[in-house]
Order: sequence, then C-alpha cells, then structure tokens
Amino acid sequence: MTTFDAGDVTLEKVREYVWEIPQEGEMRTPARVLASEALLEEISEDKTLQQLKNTTHLPGITKHAICMPDGHQGYGFPVGGVGALDAENGCISPGAVGYDINCGVRMMKTNLTYDELQGREEELVDSLFANVPSGLGGGGIVEAGVDTVDEILARGVDWALEHGHAVEDDLLHCEDEGTREGADPSKVSQKAKDRGKNQIGSLGSGNHFLEVQRVTDVFDDEVGEAFGLEEDQIVVLIHCGSRGLGHQTCNDYLRKIEQQHKGLLDRLPDKELAAAPAGSQLAEDYYAAMNAAINFAWVNRQLIMHRTRQVFERVFDRSWEAMEMDLLYDVAHNIAKKETHTVDGTERELYVHRKGATRAFPAGHPEVPKAYRDVGQPVIIPGSMGAGSYVLRGGENSMERTFGSTAHGAGRLMSRTQAKNEYWGGDVKQELEDQQQIYVKAQSGATVAEEAPGVYKDVDEVVRVSDELGIGDRVARTFPVCNIKG
Amino acid sequence: MSFELRDHTADVGVAATGERLEDVFAAVADGLAAASCDAIPDDGGDRFAVSVAAESREALLFDYLDELIYLRDVRTVLPVDNRVEQIDGSDDGEWRLEGSARGIPLDAVDAREIKAVTYSEMRLEDVGDGWEAYVVFDV
Repeated sequence: MTTFDAGDVTLEKVREYVWEIPQEGEMRTPARVLASEALLEEISEDKTLQQLKNTTHLPGITKHAICMPDGHQGYGFPVGGVGALDAENGCISPGAVGYDINCGVRMMKTNLTYDELQGREEELVDSLFANVPSGLGGGGIVEAGVDTVDEILARGVDWALEHGHAVEDDLLHCEDEGTREGADPSKVSQKAKDRGKNQIGSLGSGNHFLEVQRVTDVFDDEVGEAFGLEEDQIVVLIHCGSRGLGHQTCNDYLRKIEQQHKGLLDRLPDKELAAAPAGSQLAEDYYAAMNAAINFAWVNRQLIMHRTRQVFERVFDRSWEAMEMDLLYDVAHNIAKKETHTVDGTERELYVHRKGATRAFPAGHPEVPKAYRDVGQPVIIPGSMGAGSYVLRGGENSMERTFGSTAHGAGRLMSRTQAKNEYWGGDVKQELEDQQQIYVKAQSGATVAEEAPGVYKDVDEVVRVSDELGIGDRVARTFPVCNIKG
Repeated sequence: MSFELRDHTADVGVAATGERLEDVFAAVADGLAAASCDAIPDDGGDRFAVSVAAESREALLFDYLDELIYLRDVRTVLPVDNRVEQIDGSDDGEWRLEGSARGIPLDAVDAREIKAVTYSEMRLEDVGDGWEAYVVFDV
C-alpha cells in the first residue's frame, strides 16, 4: 500500500488523488484528503490534517470528513472541509460553517469582448472602486433601518427584486432562487443586525474582491454554450459574504452552545467545533439564523452586481440589458444545508457542512436550477488576482465521493504576516499592471501584499484534481483584467 | 505587557503577556488593533468605555474581543490604546471587565477588517509571574 508520511499523520492511498487517514482513538470515521502528491505536500505543512481529524469527532459524522484539494488550516474545521452530519442523531456546528456565513462567489456575464474593454481598464477600475463600497467602515450601497434588515433576512433576493436591485432572471440563476427557506430574522441578534445595517452591499476586505475578467479558454464547448461562455468574453466575478451580520451570528451561537451544551463541547478536541445536537432548540435556532444570514449574503452580492451593471452603463454608454449583463450563477462556500444523500443504499438527511468548499451537484439533480439541470450546476472557483479563475460544472462522481462538493479556490499557502514581509503592495500592483495588464485598486496596500499571487496554491492543479476525480469538471478558464478590493 | 503577531495560514494569531490579568487582556486587544492596522496614529479619536460580563475567564476574553469588533463596526472607529481597568469575578458566579479604548475614525486610518475572534487554539494561562494568552482571529 502506498502511504504518505505527514509527520504525526500517515495517509493511505485509496486510489489516485484519494488519501485516507484511518480511524483511530476518538475518531468516529476515517478522514479523506482529495489531492495530488504536490498538493498534499502543501496541505501537510500546517495544521490542516490535525483539524480534519478533529472534525471526525463530531457526533453523526457520516462516511468520512473530507478535505478538498485546496484545503488549508482554518479554525476548528479546516478550510476546504466537507463534513456531513446526521440531521437526526448528529449535530450542526456554527464553527464548521465559519464566521462568514454564505461567503461565496457569483459570476455575471456580458457580451463585451476583451478588445472592446482594452484601453478603458483604468477608467473602469476607478469607477468600480468609487461606486462599490469596500474596506473597513466604507458603508453599503443601501443604508437601512432594522426593519429593512429583517426583510432582507427573511426574503433574500426577493427583497432586492421588489426594491429595484434585481430582475426576475437573477433569481432563476441563484441557488434556492435567492431565498433560503426556514430563515427566521428573530433568531438573529440585535447586535448582528446593528452591524449589518450599515454594510448592505459592501465587499469588506481580506480576500474579498470584485474582478472584471476575460474568458481565455472554453474546455467543454457543449457545457460552455449552456452556460453562455465563449472565449474573449468579459465576465465579472464578485467574492464576498454576509459581513458583520454573519460574523456576529456565528459568535452568538458559539457562545450559546458553550453555555447550553457544555457536555458535548467538552468531548470535542477543539472548542471552535462547538456543535448543537440535532433536534435541540439551539440547533433549530442556529439553522434558522444561518439561513437568514445566507439571505443577507445573497442580497449583498446582488446589490454589488446590480451596482456594477450601472457602472458599466456609464463607462460603455450602453444599457446593461444591451450588454447582456446576466447572472451566470451564485455559489456559497461557507454553509451548512440539510440535504438528502444516499449512504450505503439508504437515503439520509444530513447537515452537509461546506467550509471553503462548493456545492457541485451533477446533471439531473433536482436542486440544480432548471437552466442548468441538463449539464450540472456551475461551480465558480476564483484564483488569485494574478492567476486564472475557473468555471466548472458539478461532476457525476460528486454525490458519491464528496456529498456533492468540490474545491472553492486556490487555497492559501503563505501566512499574511509572511506575505507582508515578502511583498510590498505597491510593487505587486505595478508588476501586475506592467507584466499582465491587470489593473488593481485597493483601499489598503497591505491587503494587496497579503493577497499577492504568490501566497496562493496553484489553482490550475486544484482544478485539475477536481476534474480528474469527476467531482467538478472544467468548463472554462478566465483571467483578471481589473480587480478592486478592500 | 506586550503582544506579538504570529503566523497562521489564513488568519492571524496574537500571543500576549501581561503582569496582571487586566494587562494581558489589554495586550491581546492591542494585538487585534495591530493586526487591523500597520500604522496606528499616536493621537486622535475619543476614548469610550467597554464593559463585558461572562461565565469564565476565557469566555470573558472572547466576549471582550467580540465586543471590540462589534463596537468597531457600529461606531465606525478602530479601538486602540486599550485599557482594562478591572476584572473581577469567580467561576462560580460571573466575571466582569471594565475598560476603555480610544476610537480612531475608520476613515482616518488605513485599516482592514478582522472578521471575528475565535476559540481555536485559545490559551489563557497564569504562568506564575504573570499571564500569557494566545488568540486566533479570523481575517
């Protein structure tokens, strides 16, 4: 048997790109890492594998805890982690969803070509930067009272439609049509709402960004056509989440679990894995609050997308409808959803936690929007600001191998402090512009250094492994043209 | 009292020391400010009070840092020069903290967002001649 020695942990090779950490001690199941040897070398350099092992201690964990090819150390659960926990006898874990509930990515198409945009990059990046709130304390597109926040939490993108920030077609191209069922604003604290009300329609900072990109390759013509993607086309990618409202909601419930379910918490190896037992009042309350925060994040990305349409209208002096600025899809990569999966021949209800992982349902799955049901759901994988991003489609092996999931990005390789020692924001920005014609504008030079292309894993390799495993198949690659961030 | 920012793949760790419990709390809070902003101005901004109560020392540290992040968002200021005047309590009852911070308006600094305090790897320890703490923040 081929093994991989990662210091304290030895992994056994199950098949190409599938590595298993055998069950031992308090682990309830084995754990699996989906990676090439090159990626596994990187994954084993920090505490990712230990954190993955820790997640198998959660009650109700089913089959195995899984680390995606872009996995890296997080807090509690590793980033790139997928854990399916039994919805009747297991639990739900706010820490395994993460602070930024429904952090995710959406891609909007246009009918512009790269040729039409060249020469206008600076004007476009300046206008986007001036009109899309970013950074800390930058406000939001909508300034709202708590009543409005409650409506957004309850209704999601349907609220945006009513208030002129969306069109019907946007809802049809969003998971759950942009409204998560079972969202209850009364389960979200006043503190969370107070933080959220000034941040509706804002990018935030860290690794969040808005990027104008050009399609460089379409690998699968049939699916590319179904998605409406062709080479040289301009698209817009938006990456952000539920802002302070989501962060506060996660912390509020971590603390409630600590106070009400201390017995379970004491049995877990990391306090950040705090989980509420399935069926408990707190599990129900958290699920309702998380669903509300999911709606908030969808509205956040929707407002930014709609504002981007208006910016393009001004820069290109055409209506956004004429530029066919339509939503391709919106994917969440910090989320827990109650889903039905077949496990050993039996249908089971599971809370599928995806933390830094993307749902990747294949063709034919009833939860894939009608527009894509014949080909599988689009999966959007952003790379760093100096590398390509990818559009995949849910692969036919995803249900069996990963509870319908794949990677969510390139995955960090280098710490933020190390990045700031190695790079200077001004140099990174200038090099991207001079060498790759990528125009970057950020609130903070430090953010540019921390997000320099060299701090990320090789997104091409991450996507290659996803494609080879059949969990998410390559459809198209895009490359940055303009990037704004906090 | 002092703090140090520590490497973490995606996030940021703050290791802090202090002679008294109050000192180590304030040092972690200053570490949070330093993780948010490379160049904190020596003056400017108004001082405001911070009060927190929790069921244990660790929970009090968590809630204190959570409160600072909350106040940052709702007051739109970066809390710096953190002072913890007093911590009282026992694990049988309640722990209480009284302190203050100087709030620099966010539009006056080049600051980035720290999303949240985490319990991951959190350590708060009496080491005999003082206190040590380690906290990971989500960036």
